[in-house]
Amino acid sequence: MNTVLAGHGLVKKYGSTTALSGVDVEVGERDSLAIMGPSGSGKSTLLHTLAGIVRPDDGQVLLRGERIDKLGENRLSALRRKRFGFVFQFGQLLPELPAEENVALPLMLEDMPRGRAVERARRWFAPLGIDGLEKRRPGQLSGGQAQRVAIARALVVEPDVVFADEPTGALDQTTSTEVVRLLTSVTREQGAALVMVTHDADVAAHCDRILQVRDGQITHYTQYTAA
Amino acid sequence: MRSPVLPLTWHLARSSGRRGLQSQLLAAGAAAVGAFVMLVMIAATSGAGIRADHTTWRTPDAVPAKRATAVQALATTYVRHEPVTVVSLARLPGRGTTPAPPGLSTFPGKGEVYVSPALAALLRELPANQLADRFPKVTSYGTIGAAGLASPDELVAVVGRASGDPAVSAAAEGSTPWFDEGQSARAEISGFSGTQKPLLTGLDKGMVLLGLVLLAMPVVVLSSAAGRLGAARREQRLAALRLAGATPRQILTMTAVEAAAVGVAGALTGALAYMALLPVLAEIPYGVGGWYTDQLWVGLPWCAAVVAGVTVLLTVSAVSMLRQVATAPLGVAQETNPRRTRWIRFALFAVALLYIWQSAGGGQLSSRQALVLLGLFYGTFWLFGPWVVDRLGRIVGRFARRPATLLAARRLSDDPRGAWRTVSGLVLAGFVAGFFSVSQLGSQLGSSDYGDQVAVVAPSAADARHAATEARTLLDRAGVTATVTTGGADDFDTLLGGNPGVIAHVVGGTERIDAAVTALTSVAAGTPPYTEDYATASDRVAIDRVSDVSTATLALSFALATASAGLTAAANVLDRRRVYGLLRLAGTPLRVLNRARVRETVLPLVVLAGGTTAMGVYGSYQLNKAADVTINTTGALQLAACVVVGALAMFAAIAGSRPLLRKVTDGPAPTAD
Repeated sequence: MNTVLAGHGLVKKYGSTTALSGVDVEVGERDSLAIMGPSGSGKSTLLHTLAGIVRPDDGQVLLRGERIDKLGENRLSALRRKRFGFVFQFGQLLPELPAEENVALPLMLEDMPRGRAVERARRWFAPLGIDGLEKRRPGQLSGGQAQRVAIARALVVEPDVVFADEPTGALDQTTSTEVVRLLTSVTREQGAALVMVTHDADVAAHCDRILQVRDGQITHYTQYTAA
Repeated sequence: MRSPVLPLTWHLARSSGRRGLQSQLLAAGAAAVGAFVMLVMIAATSGAGIRADHTTWRTPDAVPAKRATAVQALATTYVRHEPVTVVSLARLPGRGTTPAPPGLSTFPGKGEVYVSPALAALLRELPANQLADRFPKVTSYGTIGAAGLASPDELVAVVGRASGDPAVSAAAEGSTPWFDEGQSARAEISGFSGTQKPLLTGLDKGMVLLGLVLLAMPVVVLSSAAGRLGAARREQRLAALRLAGATPRQILTMTAVEAAAVGVAGALTGALAYMALLPVLAEIPYGVGGWYTDQLWVGLPWCAAVVAGVTVLLTVSAVSMLRQVATAPLGVAQETNPRRTRWIRFALFAVALLYIWQSAGGGQLSSRQALVLLGLFYGTFWLFGPWVVDRLGRIVGRFARRPATLLAARRLSDDPRGAWRTVSGLVLAGFVAGFFSVSQLGSQLGSSDYGDQVAVVAPSAADARHAATEARTLLDRAGVTATVTTGGADDFDTLLGGNPGVIAHVVGGTERIDAAVTALTSVAAGTPPYTEDYATASDRVAIDRVSDVSTATLALSFALATASAGLTAAANVLDRRRVYGLLRLAGTPLRVLNRARVRETVLPLVVLAGGTTAMGVYGSYQLNKAADVTINTTGALQLAACVVVGALAMFAAIAGSRPLLRKVTDGPAPTAD
């Protein structure tokens, strides 16, 4: 496996509560990793730590071999914008922007001219099955459609890693399956890694590997297919 | 069965957490400010009326000669450029008694002098040859009580005289200059009831009323902004309740009850603050000076009306925000409906503007008509504003290149009414600024050509020659260096204004002028010696009142607008904290989000505030034309400064919520998950 992102000996404490207790994890290109665990197990903290949102108290986070957990806030912010993509449970789309502008936003933040950014954004609508919805605003989309727009926005910058935090948490079973299938397949096609937190075993089963987390430690590791 | 609405509302309000409590406190604070400002302006309006009523006794209605019991003569003299109202009273021999004038316990006898406390202090402070020698010499002065005074700072004297004394017999009898404007008067009287308001207090009430009208809208804006605080939180909560089966009526009742409770609490606080601060407010000078505290007390019915008014405004604002939740809960929960504006807003404004243009075009408006047109402009602009914001958002959105501009433009066209609410305070304050600055321009006085002159009117040219000789002697004796000349009926180049009399060109400053006036008092038979202050009093009173009211109105408008902008900006951050937070997690720089927020305000502000300021200038220009006063350009700087200061204050208020934006987007909440 060609490692893209790695966390070694990750420790994170909130007061007297230990959220992560010496976790080691790696993801490679085209690799998809599901993180599961009960509430309060530390799975979201692990995702946030790997994404540079939360700084570990101890341990290291490496992106393609470069340490990122010591970077300054501005550089970390730029890193998240350029090399990571994010899909959250809901509410990450700006309600006043049409879908295509929501997708184009990360490119515009990187100084790409608006016309080019929107044109590039539109290319993602057909592969994700939301062709024709480019001009709709988030409020005019169904939950599944909104998540596909969010996936498009995460992938439009051609990231190294896509982080998904309960991306199907607000969707029904059928839509969940469709969305996670798209998320894993399109991410893989792009050559990016996927790190996904979910509490749904069916959703996690679409990933190459599953980590079970409890009390800040990895308790179980499952590999479904060769990456 | 007992309705579950009230207990549920109370329970939800109590359990809304720290953020909910913050919103409620902010809303209550805004309601308090709104109620306080309105009560202060109403108090100033009614107080100005009371003050004017307290001065009508100085120009009592004349009665037929056979029924008269006394003669009253009003004169105005100036010291240190301040007016001193002198009321001379004389009993008519063989007639009945005359009641005591207001503020005195008895009718003054010959040789008695009563003075207001402020004049008494000034008499002690100034040398006798500058002021005291203008009055009959007495061993001690009596005191005029508050009932006879408009203000504790007013300079008033009541002098008892014999009926043959020229100060009452010759006063204001055909020898008053044309610019007297009611500063002198004489009447045979039997009492002190009168309806004519003297020059010094006659304008006060009308000017404050204008300020009150102009401030009403910023207060409405602030109350509306307060009603909107916490709207997103309430929308989510009540949309969930609606989905759970609550009826639209129950939803609206819950919202109204919560908003009304917050509104009442805030407005009551504002009313209590007004009551507590009455003594401080009474110290603020307006017109003839500070106030007696009871003049500013509006009474409980007005307090109740303002509290009720502010509460209703806040409640209506909160309920109208939730109207969509009540009718279409999913719509709001998913934010599907862009809040578009219709062309009818533009059409109404255009029709109103056309009507105003036509009505005002001739420049022949009465002040009342001008006020009505002003109100019409104000009202229709309130409808027009969101339409402009909507179109502006669409146009800028089409051409925006940068993400912050695009975000701002889309926000404007997505919720034009919300964006309008943010800027409306300053936009309308800009109108006030434009209106008043030009009004003041029209009242500017030219540089003085008469500053060194003291004039004494004489009955004839021969009397004038005799008076000139006497004046030279008196001035020489008083140590005042002056050139004394006489003026005739065709002499309009001096303060005599075409009357026969004496002009003394005094060498030296204000003190020398005051000494000259004092020295020449015995030369003048009726109208006392006067200076430029007397000749320009009418214009000066108008300038001072406009200046006082415009300064207060502008300051309060900008303060209200700034508070509205700050509240709305904070409310927007709280309402959108989730999407802002997730955007930041995904790497969107804080500065981009902040720029978008600021541009959301700057874009409509530049277009609309500029427009309303221009309209304010135009409206005031027409008003000046109606009043036949000229315009000059010196107030342009003041106008620019007002708008710039207002805009800066507004940006500061918006920038004030940047730390809040940083806080609510500062990464995920620290949980163990």
